[in-house]
Amino acid sequence: MAKKTDKLILALPKGRILGEVLPLLKRAGIEPEPEFSDPNTRKLRFDTNDPGIEIIRVRAFDVATFVAFGAAHFGVAGSDVIMEFDYPELYAPLDLDIGKCRLSVAAPQSVVAVDNPARWSHVRVATKYPNLTHKHFARRGVQAECIKLNGAMELAPTLGLCRWIVDLVSTGGTLKANGLVEIETIMDISSRLVVNRAALKTRASTLTGWIDRIRDALEDGRDAA
Amino acid sequence: MSDETENRALLPAGLHDLLPPRAGQESAAITGILEVFAASGYEQVKPPLVEFESTLAGNGANGGGSLSGQMFRLMDPVSQRMMAVRADITLQVARIAGTRLAAAPRPLRLSYAGQILRVRGNQLRPERQFAQVGVELIGPDSVAADVEVIVLAAEGLNAAGIVEPTIDINSPALVAHVLAGIDLGEEAVQELRASLDRKDLGATEEVLRREGIAFSDSAKALCAMIETVGPAAEVVEELKSIDLPADARAEVIRLADVVDGVRAALPELSLTLDPVEYRGFEYQTGVSFTVFAEGVRGELARGGRYITEAGEYATGVSLYMDSIMRALPDAESGSRLYLPAETAVAVGQGLRANGWVTVAGLQDVADIEEEARRLGCSHYLVGEDPVATRDTDS
Repeated sequence: MAKKTDKLILALPKGRILGEVLPLLKRAGIEPEPEFSDPNTRKLRFDTNDPGIEIIRVRAFDVATFVAFGAAHFGVAGSDVIMEFDYPELYAPLDLDIGKCRLSVAAPQSVVAVDNPARWSHVRVATKYPNLTHKHFARRGVQAECIKLNGAMELAPTLGLCRWIVDLVSTGGTLKANGLVEIETIMDISSRLVVNRAALKTRASTLTGWIDRIRDALEDGRDAA
Repeated sequence: MSDETENRALLPAGLHDLLPPRAGQESAAITGILEVFAASGYEQVKPPLVEFESTLAGNGANGGGSLSGQMFRLMDPVSQRMMAVRADITLQVARIAGTRLAAAPRPLRLSYAGQILRVRGNQLRPERQFAQVGVELIGPDSVAADVEVIVLAAEGLNAAGIVEPTIDINSPALVAHVLAGIDLGEEAVQELRASLDRKDLGATEEVLRREGIAFSDSAKALCAMIETVGPAAEVVEELKSIDLPADARAEVIRLADVVDGVRAALPELSLTLDPVEYRGFEYQTGVSFTVFAEGVRGELARGGRYITEAGEYATGVSLYMDSIMRALPDAESGSRLYLPAETAVAVGQGLRANGWVTVAGLQDVADIEEEARRLGCSHYLVGEDPVATRDTDS
């Protein structure tokens, strides 16, 4: 059903990225109410200094879904999540230059030493990104059987669940600590500003106004650095 | 047996029962839209639900190709040929215009309403069956025709109860003209299209850089176009200021004329322009448009210029009733009047003639008001006068 709200809903991801997003938003003129940074709060929706904007805090994967369905008008999501879901209703107009990491294939050293990828027809992979993994292996003619895990991917090969994983890598420390080697990069990742397609059309001037302000804030940040 | 086979209420994914009052609301909305089309001289045609796959699939040039994976197919035991259930009605109307109505005077104005069936729904539109209502204007290749169809789309939506639609004008040809000026491989074009679809300036620049053409005029034009989206009048001005190849420039002038025409006809209409929108416009050749409503996911309607299989210029619009219904508020159940069993037939006829919806009692009941309430009637008849049913709670 059509739910009309005059407020724009901004979806932000919980966790690591949040700390990098908030200073940027502040430069663009959006500051959440103090309760937002209280780790014990049970609130999920927060007011901001701007009466026209409300913030919701959801899981990184869910930002894309909230925005694609129009439940939130815009948000911050990693390009990994955007590509994994590949929602047609999502625009990603700005690269925010934060949350940088890469999506990579990794395996235990012992496997890499003996296996010859050119001979594969099938591979079993543990990952949070079944679609991207499928596509990546399909491009080289290999069928990927994906085991969807939501975390602790590094455990899968060491306990014999599978031999390969596809996961986010930033420094490579976690991989190394679990005896895994990064084999190849599938894609480089950074956080993007995502905007709902219908919202960009029906509330064109307000939303493009905010995109411009965030773009300016990004450039200010670059100049300062 | 599993639970799924035992529960008779379960329908296949994407198929729904529409119940009162929504079913009535939908058919009233369709009637309202068709009346608006008819009032502007569009005559209704009714193509069949199923026809030969070869005529329904069309070809790459008229867009049949893109829907061919969406059609249910069945073998015709009579002709021994493959048939398909329509996944879109536009092509059928174009077929009628090119064959049975080939000799009818142009401009040919046709309207239609019917159910379509698709193999797959998607996350935003899970429906596999829904109603499509639309018009096709066949013959002219003019700004006036483009304007007429856009205005008609807005008026049709108004009639259905969509008060403030936003019409986003697009031009699939514009980006194609700009891309034609760049020498790129098939794969790079695909990649560029994907990043343009997402309005991802960073990714677009990256492709252009990698291909070593970041500093060409066309590349600059593309990057400038990504950021031009918003109110139509402003975007037209921005587009005019971008350095574009000649045929792209002609397209911009066409867009500007259409925007002027629509604004003159409907000054209050929320009109936006997005020059890089391409998704779903695989067969449109000129000015196209998509209709949105605030707070409603997905598209309410889309339309635009194309060339029929017979090679004629055409433009049209399809309204999607599933999205339109999502945008409409719940219907208020109207006044219903309970007629006790002994009411004379003529009394009921008189009341109905005066606009009442009557619900006849078929047998005598002890408490007429209670019975009226049980049947969801807002009024019941005492003598010859309707009396409002009281709420039990009060």
